[in-house]
Amino acid sequence: MNVEHNAIEVRDVSVEYGDVRALVDVSVGFAPRRIHAVVGQNGAGKTTFARVAAGIVQPVRGTLSIGGREVPVGRVGAARAAGIEIVHQSFALPPSFTVAEAMEFGAEGGRGVFTRGELERRWKRHLEALGVAVGPRERIRDLPVETQQAVEIARALVTDAKVLILDEPTAVLSPSGVEKLFERLRVMQASGVTILLILHKIREVLSIAETVTVLRGGRLVEGPVETSATEPHRLASAIIGSGLEGTLSAPDVDALVGAAEEDDAAGAGPAAGNPVAAAGTPILAMRGVSTRPDPEGPALADITLSIARGEIVGVAGVEGNGQRTLVRALSHLADLTAGDIALDGAEVTRRPLAERRAAGLRIIPFERNTEGLSLSSPLWENWSARQLLLGGVLRLINPARIRKACEAALKSWDVRFSTPNQPAGSLSGGNAQKVILAREIDDSATLIIAAQPTRGLDVGATAFVWKALREAKARGCGILLISSDLDELFDISDRVVVMLSGRISGEFAPPYHLGEVGAAMTGAGR
Amino acid sequence: MNGPLGQVFRALVYVLIGLALCGIIFELAGYSAPLMFQSIAEGAFLSVRAWQNSLRWGLPLFLTALGVVISFRCGFFNIGAQGQFYMGAIAATFVVDGLSGAPAFVVIPLTFLAGLAGGGLWALWPGLLRVKSGTDEVITTLMGNFIATLFLVYVTSGPLKDPSGTGQAASSRPVAEMYRIGAANAVSPAIIAICVLVGIGAWVLVNRTAFGVLSSLAGRNPIMVVWQGAKLSRLGLAGFVLGGALAGLAGTIEVLGPIGRLSSGMLPTHGFTAILIALVANLSVLATAFVAIFFGGLAAAGLYLPVLAGLPAAAIDIINAAIALFITARAWPKRLAGFFGQRRSAP
Repeated sequence: MNVEHNAIEVRDVSVEYGDVRALVDVSVGFAPRRIHAVVGQNGAGKTTFARVAAGIVQPVRGTLSIGGREVPVGRVGAARAAGIEIVHQSFALPPSFTVAEAMEFGAEGGRGVFTRGELERRWKRHLEALGVAVGPRERIRDLPVETQQAVEIARALVTDAKVLILDEPTAVLSPSGVEKLFERLRVMQASGVTILLILHKIREVLSIAETVTVLRGGRLVEGPVETSATEPHRLASAIIGSGLEGTLSAPDVDALVGAAEEDDAAGAGPAAGNPVAAAGTPILAMRGVSTRPDPEGPALADITLSIARGEIVGVAGVEGNGQRTLVRALSHLADLTAGDIALDGAEVTRRPLAERRAAGLRIIPFERNTEGLSLSSPLWENWSARQLLLGGVLRLINPARIRKACEAALKSWDVRFSTPNQPAGSLSGGNAQKVILAREIDDSATLIIAAQPTRGLDVGATAFVWKALREAKARGCGILLISSDLDELFDISDRVVVMLSGRISGEFAPPYHLGEVGAAMTGAGR
Repeated sequence: MNGPLGQVFRALVYVLIGLALCGIIFELAGYSAPLMFQSIAEGAFLSVRAWQNSLRWGLPLFLTALGVVISFRCGFFNIGAQGQFYMGAIAATFVVDGLSGAPAFVVIPLTFLAGLAGGGLWALWPGLLRVKSGTDEVITTLMGNFIATLFLVYVTSGPLKDPSGTGQAASSRPVAEMYRIGAANAVSPAIIAICVLVGIGAWVLVNRTAFGVLSSLAGRNPIMVVWQGAKLSRLGLAGFVLGGALAGLAGTIEVLGPIGRLSSGMLPTHGFTAILIALVANLSVLATAFVAIFFGGLAAAGLYLPVLAGLPAAAIDIINAAIALFITARAWPKRLAGFFGQRRSAP
């Protein structure tokens, strides 16, 4: 045996979802017992690739071999039997289960009848062996995301996995959590597991992976190449493609692909010409704001925050630390127990959202498809909702004129659509987000809350959103940008605050230091 | 054919399938299907008299169906039209009976106000329960129907009982001639005028006001409208109460017009046929007008069925039920196709 077989190899794989070609003739193999990264922007086909490799997605053509042996494509059972396990991007553990139950749930060949004690003993040993500090009786929903992920990885290793695929495992983690995950992966690699990581930050790729493979628009662009033989800027252009690169500034490119070095993480901060948060009435002034616990996150505790005209304030934090409650409190959708909120000097603590919107508050909400748009309603209704609410509901309107205005507005925001009557759900994510921007960013906007405005968008749409926010800032709007992407925050924020358990745990000005912000996100060093 | 008219057209195809299916069933049961269709056509549409009858039954249905359209568009599944229709009729009868003797120009407007209020208030409590505490309005409005039906039995055999009644079905005293807006079992210019005005008003409300757009957005995605700063409870409640008021208006018209009194168990399927009409019309105001007259025609033909085809008048209920079945099932073929299509592409 002179040539060792690839641990996992796909040949000429193509995947189509309706008209969309998610993967086009991808052929690539990964050597055993190494850590491989697959990178690419949103929509590049990374997740589809991972799912083909795990036997979850059935390609229209192509083959899959594991350890040199071909296995039927699109069969999860066959792939698992051959030793492939996958940890999904959004965790698949049932939230109401205890850890032991969740582990048993994924295991194969268990007996049909067991006692609780037996179950807990068995899985406690397994978890301890993997160094996961968690009690088998704890409920999944009570665990922090990092532990949930560790349990999920432990579950994937219950069977004798030879290849472990992790789909964007770092997206939910703080910088220190990422470090811990990487430690764990290195230990697993040492015990002979091949690891395939789907990532989208170059910094992470370079710190953990031995080879890197780049996908763009469903095609294999490069790889696998040794990470030691490449460098950030080459990878960045491979990921983004030459078409767009020319239109983006260098810091923007770095932010898009997470290529900035640890030491100078977008150290330059936002571009020059930033009108220093001058004296004068702030656009937003929150003083000692506390709320009741919200179904969507912890209660806010004593939040004091102000935003000046022409200032972008970024909110960093691990998801679920009160960011949603913060947006809800500003929108009068969460009950305040203490503190007050003023918009442009006028107290609005008890004023309903309609009045706050009339005063210039605009919201790009977290959930584009539920909070932002009514997907089954026509575009023009979605676009006009804000203006329709400004006056009495019984006043007469002229739908034809609104449709015409909507058409003009959407065109000027570069939305790709065919008619204002088409349902909002027929647009792609990037176009749908532009419809929301077209509605929320207008001349009378004074404070714009942008909650995860680029999540799930491709490079072009992300750059478009950044441009729109910067233009709004140049016109004098205050902007509150909530994002879980530190590179994005560092690139465009004038100031970054960090939220932890409903409090503000740190405030930073450029140049930002990834380590410091990361420490504030987890409460370390306090 | 994907516009609103296309959808109505497709719905009408289901109506025809329902009719054809009933034809086959009655043919197999020993009746004559051609005679059945002939009597429906003659009873509903083939003479001036038939058209008058179709309007007599169709116009009150139109008003109630408009109410259903408005509350459905707001995202509230108000199936209590029957109860709201009864409560409107009861409130109207109390006023017209209690003010007996007063001049008509006072009594008639007050009667209409009472009818509107009766139907509207009977929709208010399920609406409040829904927006304040999230109680499922399907359950509450359905229960409301039973309560209203029993309340109708009570008032017609108690407070409003006609002492000279012959005792067949308990009923109120006949409405005095001076307060009537139409002859017995007939349509009248006044009724047509009311329906045209209300129809135009509803069309403007749905298609030409901010309320129309916002309520339909709220009906499809209430969360999004809340994030725009709308008071969902107010929008929804308005639609709900308006829907009930329109059913109450239909009840008032029946009392002051074609029926001319309140009677226990009157038009027991009125509200449910109205829901059917709203669904066939795909919640479009304009389409509701045509569909309501079509179903009014079916109701009118119910009287001809025994005479011409020897079928019981209840055959019309069977036809309505068959149509309802197909309308509710129309979402299914697509869903099933999607299910099997997916299975096929990923075996």
